[in-house]
Amino acid sequence: MATDEDAVMWVEKYRPKKLDEVVDLKDIVESLKSFMRNPKTMPHLLLAGIPGTGKTTVALCIARELFGQNWKTFTLELNASDERGIDTVRDRVKDFSRYSRAAFGNVPFALIILDESDQMTGPAQTALRRIMETSSRTSRFILICNQSGKIIEPIQSRCAIFRFSKLDRNAMIEQLCCIAKKENVSLALEAAERIVDYAEGDLRHAINALQAASAYKDGFVDEKIASQVIGEATPAQVQIMIRKALYGDFVEARKLMYDLIGSYGFSGSEIVRQMQRELFKMSTLTPEEKAELSNIIGEYDYRLTQGANSDIQLSALLAQFAKVGKAKGESS
Amino acid sequence: MKEDLLWVEKYRPKKISDVIGNEEAKAAFVEWLKSKRRSKKAVLLYGPPGVGKTTIVNAAANEFGFKVIEMNASDTRSEKAIQAVAGPATAFVALDTFSSESKGNILFMDEVDGIAGNEDRGGVSAIVKIVEESRVPVIMAANDPDLEKLRPLKKVSTLVRFQQVRIPLIIAMLRKISHREHIEAEFEALERIAQNSGGDVRSAINDLQSLAEASKTLTLQDTVTLSARNRDISMDETLRRYFSAKSLLEASILLSRSSVDYDDLLMAVGDNLPRRYSDPEELAEAYDFVSRADMFRGRIGTENWHLLKYFYNSMSEAAAVSPESYKPFSFISPPIRIITLFWTKSKRTMLDCICGKIGQRCHVSRASAKQDFVPYVKIMLTKKITEPVVSWLGLEPDEVEFLTKMNKF
Repeated sequence: MATDEDAVMWVEKYRPKKLDEVVDLKDIVESLKSFMRNPKTMPHLLLAGIPGTGKTTVALCIARELFGQNWKTFTLELNASDERGIDTVRDRVKDFSRYSRAAFGNVPFALIILDESDQMTGPAQTALRRIMETSSRTSRFILICNQSGKIIEPIQSRCAIFRFSKLDRNAMIEQLCCIAKKENVSLALEAAERIVDYAEGDLRHAINALQAASAYKDGFVDEKIASQVIGEATPAQVQIMIRKALYGDFVEARKLMYDLIGSYGFSGSEIVRQMQRELFKMSTLTPEEKAELSNIIGEYDYRLTQGANSDIQLSALLAQFAKVGKAKGESS
Repeated sequence: MKEDLLWVEKYRPKKISDVIGNEEAKAAFVEWLKSKRRSKKAVLLYGPPGVGKTTIVNAAANEFGFKVIEMNASDTRSEKAIQAVAGPATAFVALDTFSSESKGNILFMDEVDGIAGNEDRGGVSAIVKIVEESRVPVIMAANDPDLEKLRPLKKVSTLVRFQQVRIPLIIAMLRKISHREHIEAEFEALERIAQNSGGDVRSAINDLQSLAEASKTLTLQDTVTLSARNRDISMDETLRRYFSAKSLLEASILLSRSSVDYDDLLMAVGDNLPRRYSDPEELAEAYDFVSRADMFRGRIGTENWHLLKYFYNSMSEAAAVSPESYKPFSFISPPIRIITLFWTKSKRTMLDCICGKIGQRCHVSRASAKQDFVPYVKIMLTKKITEPVVSWLGLEPDEVEFLTKMNKF
């Protein structure tokens, strides 16, 4: 495994540089490598899948394999969720795709990597579609997203789509052990398992957890330390907020909601997503109750996209939780 | 006729002679409308709200067989929009003009003083152009004709002034409606409503309906809750009457009258509902209505203002979930959101900046830097303040301190 010696965060230090080094994605890597052999044949790419499964890594590998050392000159990397307005797409992408037509070797185009492109607004995607058409002689796009469904059809049909699934548990454990060895950290197998299970197929998350754990007691991670780190890193506010709402303290729940929005800058949809995730970890609820509450979250997730004021929708969601909580209290 | 109809609609006069007060203005308007050769092609009716400007136009059209094509403040009135609606209506004399039934179109622009400077760019000059080219009568109405921006309109129009309707006429009107609605009303009560209205017939009828519709009786005692009519019902007053509304109707009449901004109203109601409804079921139901209202607000965006009535409907429903459970309470103000965002701004900016640095280095968005990196970086820094991570990410000392002291989320 090649390492980026400068990098301090292990996710960067051990990020594969070549497609061959990428773990557990054999099929995808094979098809991509055929494009690398003859870059002229490479279409626009759409890489879709849950976080931490290697999409960005694969995109960066492609850039390196196409352009070698100078890859940064010929690659525009944009994070659509940070810069997702229609203006960004128009200005930066358009300018870059126009000016970087300097062909490199036998690669007749520049590369534009748009990460989290499912966060782009509808109008921005429509603008993007047009730009993809007009600049197809001078540039190739790699769009990265979690849900390909949120990408408009016309863009999907212009891309070769690759789906990344959850990484294999054993491959992830192996990866952690490998990193630990290189960092001279003695990592107990149970600790690696604990971390991997917590990360739920997200390798980036797992590696970050490992690095934090190894800072705990220099160079030594056992299961106890792993659990401790996980406990400390797990978001707690959202779960407390859910509990307060369910057990009759709506006003307090709403205060926590405003703390999440204010102090941490979470958006309405981020909070809803976290609620969905935390809900299923709550041991005090029956599966039926979780299903009912999950349905409610789904409804308000939708309403958030329709409404004008996310505070209202979140408050209404918490009020529904309080109602369910009351019924639950009365029946038991 | 539907029971929940507003009385102002139910009893809106169909004939010119049924419109009360303003005899002089009515005569001037009718003369203008009937004359074959008008000196000016447009007429501008102006005067305070609720004195019958809109009513007289519709009554006259009804009587003389015109078809009214109306644009009011809820429509966008940019130059383009006005031409799209009014252009075709004014360019041709309607085909059925020569039949005995219809005399063709009249174009009615209500609330022209509400034409906004920016959103409705070119609106006033577009109207002037329409007036000049129009082959059909153009009628405009405004509350305040002295606005500078309306000057071009005044030049091309005959001005007709409407005044407050005299109190005795309003009392007579209220008596007639009470009679038809089978309400036993004390004369003094009607007198007080009329006086309180300050010559605004519409508000007087609304007051009568909200005070007497449910009970079918009206005493002077009932009218003590009438506050001196103030055109601008303040936020506090709006909230007080909103949350204490005894019926859906009362709430919707109130909201139709209050001039509180709808976005402010949405926030204020969102904050105060928990104080109004203590029962979780009622609270959930009320929030559900407010949530629906918010969805309408979202769909309105900046142009679909015709949806505003659904917004107000849903808001009214939220007020009337359980009128019997109302107890007075003090309001939360200013909005929690604004206070929270104000006090936490520096925290948010700091965190955002840190996440931006992480994102740069590790190829992730700020949002995922916050969720997938910050908790772990925090642990590393808490354990060892000299972590090489600090210089690699380019964190400033105050950012390091912020991270180590930050509460977990």
